[in-house]
Amino acid sequence: MRLHEFEAMDIFETMGIPVPRRGVAETAEEALRVSEKIGYPVVAKAQVLVGSRGLAGGIKIASNPEELGEIGRTLLGSAINGLPVRKILVVEKADIAQELYAGITVDGYSGKPVIVASTEGGIHIEKTAQSGPEKIATIQIDPFQPLDPHQAIALLQKFELNQNLLVAWADVIAKLYRTFIRYEALIAEINPLVLLPNHDLLAVDAVLELDNSALSRSKHPLPDRLERIENPLERKGREIGVTYVDLGGDIGLISSGAGLGMASIDMIGEKMKPANFLETGGGITEQLLYKCMDLIMMKGNLRGILINIYGGINPIHEGAKGVVRYIKEHHVKIPIVAKALGNHQEETWEIFRSAGVHVVTEAATEKAVERLFDLVGKA
Amino acid sequence: MSILINDSTRVIVQGITGRIGSLQTHWMLAYGTKVVAGVTPGKGGTMVEGVPVFSSVEEAVSKTGANASVFFIPAAFVLNAFLETVDAGVKLIVMIPEHIPVHDVMKMRAYAIEKEVYALGPTTPGILVPGKGKMGIMPASLFAPGRVGIISRSGTLSYEFAGILSECGVGQSTVVGMGADPVVLTNLVDILRLFEEDRDTDGVIIVGEVGGDQEEKAARVIQEKMTKPVAAYLAGRRSPEGKRMGHAGAIVRGSAGTVAGKEEALRSAGVEVLESPIHVALWAEKHHLR
Repeated sequence: MRLHEFEAMDIFETMGIPVPRRGVAETAEEALRVSEKIGYPVVAKAQVLVGSRGLAGGIKIASNPEELGEIGRTLLGSAINGLPVRKILVVEKADIAQELYAGITVDGYSGKPVIVASTEGGIHIEKTAQSGPEKIATIQIDPFQPLDPHQAIALLQKFELNQNLLVAWADVIAKLYRTFIRYEALIAEINPLVLLPNHDLLAVDAVLELDNSALSRSKHPLPDRLERIENPLERKGREIGVTYVDLGGDIGLISSGAGLGMASIDMIGEKMKPANFLETGGGITEQLLYKCMDLIMMKGNLRGILINIYGGINPIHEGAKGVVRYIKEHHVKIPIVAKALGNHQEETWEIFRSAGVHVVTEAATEKAVERLFDLVGKA
Repeated sequence: MSILINDSTRVIVQGITGRIGSLQTHWMLAYGTKVVAGVTPGKGGTMVEGVPVFSSVEEAVSKTGANASVFFIPAAFVLNAFLETVDAGVKLIVMIPEHIPVHDVMKMRAYAIEKEVYALGPTTPGILVPGKGKMGIMPASLFAPGRVGIISRSGTLSYEFAGILSECGVGQSTVVGMGADPVVLTNLVDILRLFEEDRDTDGVIIVGEVGGDQEEKAARVIQEKMTKPVAAYLAGRRSPEGKRMGHAGAIVRGSAGTVAGKEEALRSAGVEVLESPIHVALWAEKHHLR
């Protein structure tokens, strides 16, 4: 779960990282009240979970109340990359002597936390990583050990900084690392970490992405994960315990695994338009597949459905009963093709066939997609 | 004969008294796997599917000579159970559960490397040697004995590839689920090395997907070290940027982790990239794999 900037900034503040004076506003009037306390100029930042927010017009500077009111009215209620702007963060505008970067991520390959620092922060950090390796420093940390302050100092040595900046920056990194560990983050990032003319550091941006698998054991108050899923179908999927991704087409999919689901989408997309990705994981029951049918049918325009499930950990014969019950109760008429292999496969095929589902018994999903394409073409 | 599991593999099922643990123990035994012990804290002295249950891994190892373990326990208890299992001297661990916190997985991986333990997962279907045995949840009917190795990040796609190959008479030497999380306990390159050394494997299929850089890192090793033919399929070319596609590790971030990037890396390392899974049959025929 990615936190909003204002949420991450609050957490950074409690961890002792220097952050700007700020306030969150849901209306232009609220924005003006916030800026009265801060003083102009201020920066108004749309609180939407997209990358390159600044390039998409989501970050604006206001020098006086008139400008801020105008920005507030324009930004709030608008959409950035398709996501609605419900809140803006109003922050003091920092004087920038230099933009630095500090970030911590999980390195999937080594399986360790990796700290990244750069003397060239800002929106081009990814380019810097490729073009100017001398401006980037990284270090992997033993996941069993806390960060030793000397490691942070050693990381920054290659930049030949003055002593004050070296110590201050290492301190921010140490605090960011503690945040990363305490909140079980996948990403904790400050970009840019601004060096002010008075030589202080200020985190003018805050990124914190938490591990969904660790949310339930967090000892710290966290925002509701469901609430921030903007797409209602995707939220519904999360509620019933499956992963649903809206893809905008008209061919529905239920798969019992993520890889199989992605491959199915790739194949459907060759000749048709997938409406959704849906994968159940290992929790199939009669009830669950009934609910999955209900979920994918919420898009009223489906022309056909592919059900692609394996009986390894999943009782697919139970799942088939749920699909069939849905078909009968709701008089579903669009063509449905099912490929269901593994434990209890024969029983599963019989159940599907009893409701007119077209069963494909070969292993290759391509065959099932071909069959569906034929049926949809004829329908 | 195979990688990681063989005739001397003696398996402990952790979480054997649970619904899934007991059912999967039944299937593993039915496939010929030597399941010699179960472990559930507090349930020692009972029997499940004719297998004795112990309260600790250490006791299970000392009483039965077990040397491998498969996990069917809730994610929250996995880290401690893993450390206990490694400390008991078990050298192969298969981690079936999904949704294990990534910070726990980082610790497990570091511990496994330090203690020279092979561990698969998390979020893996396990490992299966056709006709010999399996640790995990793979549905046995799809697999046939032969000489092709499969490594898959996705469970269901490992079944799909084995199923397609078996249908056209091409068997498998070992089928390995490496797991689908952002951090896995054993990386793709390390499993590839085992297949390269295995005398009974003539070719290897990598089944990857969007997210991370396992395939990109493997490409380098394949170019330098692999003499056997390697094919690869990558799922997720139509996955939208920034969306987690069911697996915790299956996410495209900006330009990182895309199918296109992975295919390019693998292709330039001499790997045959398959446009669609069904093409694996032609690849096997071309290399005379049975």
